[in-house]
Amino acid sequence: MEATQQVKTTAVKGTETAREVRALVKNIYKSAHEAKANGRKVAYMMVASHYDEILRAMDIVPLPTENYAGLCAAKRDMDRFLHKAEADGYSQVLCSYARIGLGFDSLRKELGRIPDNSPDGGMPLPDMMIGSSAVCDPRFKWYQATSRYLEVPTFAIDVVAPPPQADLNQVRDHYIAYQRAQFQGLIDFLEMQTGKQMDPERLWEAIRLGDRAWQLWYDIDRLRVAVPSPMPSQDHFSIMVAGHYYSGTQTAVDFYQKLYDEVKHKAENKIGVTAEEKYRILYGGGLPPWHTLWIFNYFESFGAVFAIENVYRGFDPVQVPSHVQDPVDYLAWRAFLRATRYHDQARTRSGSPAVEKLLGLIADYAIDGVVFHACRSCRATTIGQTHIKSELGKHCDLPMMQLVSDMVDLRDYSEAQWKAQIGAFMDALAARARRA
Amino acid sequence: MSIMKQIEALYTQRGVRARELRQAGEKVIGYFCCFVPEEIITALGLIPFRIQGSQREPIDEADTLLEPMACPFARSCFNMALKGQYEFLDGFVAPHSCDTIERMYHIWRSNTPSPFNHLINVPHMMGPSSAEFYKNELHYFAGCLETFAGRKLDLEKLRQAVRLYNRRRALLRELYALRKAVPPRVSGTEITKVLVAGMGIPAAEHIDVVRAFIDEVQQRPAPRPDGLPRIFLWGNEIDDIAFIELVESCGAHVVMDDLCTGTRFFWEDVPETDDPFDGLVQKYLCTHCPRSLVPQAGGRADDLENRFGYIREFAAQWKADGAIFYIVRYCDTCELEGPDLKEYLTQQKLPVLMIEDDYSTTTMGQLRTRIQAFLEMIA
Ligand code: SF4
Ligand code: SF4
Repeated sequence: MEATQQVKTTAVKGTETAREVRALVKNIYKSAHEAKANGRKVAYMMVASHYDEILRAMDIVPLPTENYAGLCAAKRDMDRFLHKAEADGYSQVLCSYARIGLGFDSLRKELGRIPDNSPDGGMPLPDMMIGSSAVCDPRFKWYQATSRYLEVPTFAIDVVAPPPQADLNQVRDHYIAYQRAQFQGLIDFLEMQTGKQMDPERLWEAIRLGDRAWQLWYDIDRLRVAVPSPMPSQDHFSIMVAGHYYSGTQTAVDFYQKLYDEVKHKAENKIGVTAEEKYRILYGGGLPPWHTLWIFNYFESFGAVFAIENVYRGFDPVQVPSHVQDPVDYLAWRAFLRATRYHDQARTRSGSPAVEKLLGLIADYAIDGVVFHACRSCRATTIGQTHIKSELGKHCDLPMMQLVSDMVDLRDYSEAQWKAQIGAFMDALAARARRA
Repeated sequence: MSIMKQIEALYTQRGVRARELRQAGEKVIGYFCCFVPEEIITALGLIPFRIQGSQREPIDEADTLLEPMACPFARSCFNMALKGQYEFLDGFVAPHSCDTIERMYHIWRSNTPSPFNHLINVPHMMGPSSAEFYKNELHYFAGCLETFAGRKLDLEKLRQAVRLYNRRRALLRELYALRKAVPPRVSGTEITKVLVAGMGIPAAEHIDVVRAFIDEVQQRPAPRPDGLPRIFLWGNEIDDIAFIELVESCGAHVVMDDLCTGTRFFWEDVPETDDPFDGLVQKYLCTHCPRSLVPQAGGRADDLENRFGYIREFAAQWKADGAIFYIVRYCDTCELEGPDLKEYLTQQKLPVLMIEDDYSTTTMGQLRTRIQAFLEMIA
């Protein structure tokens, strides 16, 4: 372990504000430990489930277990947890975030305490676990399996989205009604766990803060159309912490306001990420390689900057109709509108909301090439990349490549192979530039 | 033709009957998994066809369009579609069973579209609001299918279809009861053939096949006691006999299962409710499958009992001596469920062998030693 921990994993950031994220991450686990000590309720939770504001309004301290897995990888301290989960019978191809979480909980149970030197002090025992079916299957199933190691009340909600071909006028009502019922089910569960009623005013307040933060985040991304790029994707993979793990709090709003000011200043003064920006790259999808984030700086050494990305990106702002007066209704509407944001557009062109979104980014951000990252153990963000790549190719003529590894499991990564692939990709970018 | 020959032909040449029907002017609707009510398709005068893969053919063409870390069953199905082996489908219906099927629906639809394509969203949660949502999804599906079929869904026809499929379910349970005998009257290999044969033909025809097969089995002389271990099989898609044949050839009887291609799709009846959609929702939503989350019930022990009690009963009634899990690799929900079920069954003193495999007959040889060792251990 000692030897591997020496290896550099992080990337050099482009913005000052992104450097403050480390403290935000540490604080997630620190405040969870403090909350436990003070008798407040702590919950394992899944980000991007559209329920953050409910947790905040109910005073639940969120513990994002996926983030913890990413953190372990960034610290190159994942193997002991992966191996433990595998020894307990979990497949080596199961989502590696889930394997790290299960391995951590298994070790903690076996030792009767948090495993020594766990990154950022480790996760305290939660009072409850709240899964969700948003994004992928493991996210609603993982906590059920975790009950093998810790017996706490466990709950999950569905988050549903219609396929792009569905007639939204016909399905809208039942999707929103179901989403509302799922959120209400969560509120009922939390009321039972805390013995407190949910205060709708507090929920509105959390929603207001959540929407404000995400609007600022979106505005920051819009500033990133500037040439040269004022903020690269490696910064995005840090700064998303505020939007995903602090959603519904003033902390997130303040953080994004500060970042907005910095990015705006950089954009206006043409302060770029690299001395010479030759190519602008779109990170087309897939979870980032947390184990090897310096790879983004490796691209930069060729003058290639990741100008924008399509993962962990804040949802585009949506306009919930004004007749929606109840905060839970609002959350259901917002989830539906977020999920169907590109549906109409998809029906008139490529048929795929993902392709539409990427085409929009390619045009707006003056993109020269697209890079995808296939993660062997994440079905949800990987399956479809090849297809999207080929569909994109029908609408634009850009060099594209797919790097393969895993978001945390190093056994699926080969530096030599990546460097060779990146070399070939750079040649393709150069050839395209010459043609132009 | 003897009934076994007929089953053999239907099992090996899976699309033949569907093609014939199509040539005779019928419309064939292909679908995946256990969450698409065939009753609705049948009631609209269309032929449901359950899409299967092929463990015997390499996945060659699909890899350029679908990542190799997707479930190989799904990849195999898509591979066959790309090669034109599903060109006879007039419709393609995917339930949102899992990440892979949901993602693949879009890829399939864009590469080999059928005249009719539809995705049914199936809740992962169980509860009143999930039932309401799924019912709405079924209504929406039925509406789209009505437009395609050019006729209205007659609720009386839907009730008839419910009764028809319930008849088939009852017959299949009757067939499974013949496996309770010691030794079983019918092998696991034969059962798989009968079930898979039925996936590509109308239910009414399958009913005749199963009836004739049961009659044939009942005329067989009772097998002599052989003392071989009795195996309960758990997993996902086994639409080929290779694995079960392997287990049986190692000296065991496969006597009961909980598989997508076994009891999971037929065991429970559709209740005959006033509104037939209510009955459909009740049955399909409660299908025992790791992709559906059973709400937590009490502490760990109660929760496991609540989730897996039916398997304990299956194993007891069919007198299983051991359980083998056959998990098609990359199926996240099965991979997460397996260790829990193993813990539960081990507590029930039922030894478990957990196998993860690639949905390919080429890997069978490597499994033989593990199965033999397991059988020796439980003997
Ligand atoms: S499968 Fe992918 S999206 Fe799902 S929990 Fe794992 S890493 Fe996250
Ligand atoms: S075996 Fe699992 S991953 Fe494959 S289609 Fe079935 S549920 Fe999905």
